[in-house]
Amino acid sequence: MPVNFQQIYARVKEIAEGANESKRILEERRNQARELLSFYAADLDYLRQKVEAAKAVDANIRCATPLKESLASFYPPPVSVTDATVIAADGSQVNPDRHAAIQFCIINVGVIAMRLSSGEAPLVTVETELLYGDDLLPNGNPLSDGMVAMRRDIHERIKLDEVSKDINGPVVNLTDGTIELWGAKGDDPQAYANFVEQYLGVLSRLHSRGVVTAGYVEKPSADLVVRLLEIATADEEQIRKLRDFHPLRGVSDRWLYGERDNPLLPPGHRSAVFGLQSGSEKKYKGALSLHFFYLNVGTVGHPWPVRIEIPRWVAEDPKKLDLLHCVLIEQCKMMGSRPYPYLLHRAHETALVRYEEKGQIEQLLVLELRRIRAEVGDGSHKSSAKSLKIRTTR
Amino acid sequence: MTQIEIGRLLRAGTTGFVAGCRVSQFTVPAFGELVRAPLGDSYQVYGLIHDIHIDDDGLVRQLVTSENISDEVMKDNRERRIVPVEMAVLAIGYEQDGRIYHLLPPRPPLSLDVIYLCDDEDVARFTSVGRFGYFRHILGAKDLPIGEVMAAHLGQAARAHGKSGDQWKDKATHELITLLRDNYPTLMNVLGALSDVSV
Repeated sequence: MPVNFQQIYARVKEIAEGANESKRILEERRNQARELLSFYAADLDYLRQKVEAAKAVDANIRCATPLKESLASFYPPPVSVTDATVIAADGSQVNPDRHAAIQFCIINVGVIAMRLSSGEAPLVTVETELLYGDDLLPNGNPLSDGMVAMRRDIHERIKLDEVSKDINGPVVNLTDGTIELWGAKGDDPQAYANFVEQYLGVLSRLHSRGVVTAGYVEKPSADLVVRLLEIATADEEQIRKLRDFHPLRGVSDRWLYGERDNPLLPPGHRSAVFGLQSGSEKKYKGALSLHFFYLNVGTVGHPWPVRIEIPRWVAEDPKKLDLLHCVLIEQCKMMGSRPYPYLLHRAHETALVRYEEKGQIEQLLVLELRRIRAEVGDGSHKSSAKSLKIRTTR
Repeated sequence: MTQIEIGRLLRAGTTGFVAGCRVSQFTVPAFGELVRAPLGDSYQVYGLIHDIHIDDDGLVRQLVTSENISDEVMKDNRERRIVPVEMAVLAIGYEQDGRIYHLLPPRPPLSLDVIYLCDDEDVARFTSVGRFGYFRHILGAKDLPIGEVMAAHLGQAARAHGKSGDQWKDKATHELITLLRDNYPTLMNVLGALSDVSV
């Protein structure tokens, strides 16, 4: 049966009718957010005190913490960089499928390293891990999709560490997404703890070699600066019930820094650097503590703010910060009308496991197992039925 | 004999095949040139390049909109990304045990077989055999720019024949006129293209 379009249509009408009212409310909140930003822009001590007060009530609260720069400050792109190596890593995975004839998992990591202004072709490496049998039951628990994703993330970071080790001169490491390891801790707490420990080791090594490390967050959904403004206006009672206190709900950091008609950040400019207050603060300490800034990689009339996550050793070194800023702007410019770091795209392209590749690996595995007369199961009837060709109606 | 490798076989049929190479390799072959695909056992297939094709993809489309493209990005796209230059080849004959036949090859080359550019000696040898029997494969390929392929081939072959190049070209042109005597539009097309060839 097709989608029930009558139900959908009724709901679409409802949404459109409510949109006007929502728009008015959002407009009011946006004006308020702009006013609050101007009002508290330089009041950094007060803001830090409010964040401390909020932390005392809820240590897991996520918001921006101001450092030295005014909230509304912005900085132009530094002069072009000529001597640096930019390395990007990305990964993809094939999760174990219990409906398939054979259960396996693939983690594929692509790394690309480009020496700027060298005129040389970049170095591309791919590392593929095939998990089978007991590999799929780490610590006795079935490997969940979340743990596979985390394993992929840690592999990306380890590869970045390996590739950057032998490079002389300034190095910039890029990954897509946050530099904080995200994952479903509940799936396998032991494995999660091991991954975080491994990751902190990688970050420490990168720190000791002074490698500029950054995570590129496209279309960030976390509203860390807006949350800071909300906390700034909260009284004691509201601080105690902070999880329910959202006077600026709907206003996003992306809007704040990249409002279409009047963006806070002109094209190519970065925002102030903020500390990232979150529950992860306990793990990422000292030089590894998490920071971020917003960067408008768009053009005049088409602002496109992205969030760049960095560790403290980058945040506190103006030269490293400038190098990263410049590299990101130049990388994004390479992609023309849809700015995104060129090398991150190439790393993604390199790492991607295509559906037909998955099928080929499955076939190889089945053939080899059959050759040694090992037991190979059948695919589930459910998955077989789902793959039947469907007669389409016009 | 100098062996100039121009790519490897992507797909093939009895009447032709398609070879691919990376853009960085793409310096030697040209439209209309004679190539060969040795298959072992003293057997090789001959063909003429009638189309050179470079596909785009999403990334390339996006990159062309950027203001300037660095040398590193250019090399990355040409040397590292899997977007091969494709050369379509029309099969025009084969060689078996040292003997050349202007017939369709009994079996096509296989995936990843290496394709070589024919040198002057190969070209002169292939084009001297018989009475231009391979012309019928070119003239029969309706979807090809016959005049242009013929002009490019005759130019290459005449050069390969050295001092007797003009004589060979005259004979070839007469043969073409004979073969196309009942097909005036194609004949005019071929002769028009040939008039632009200078040896």
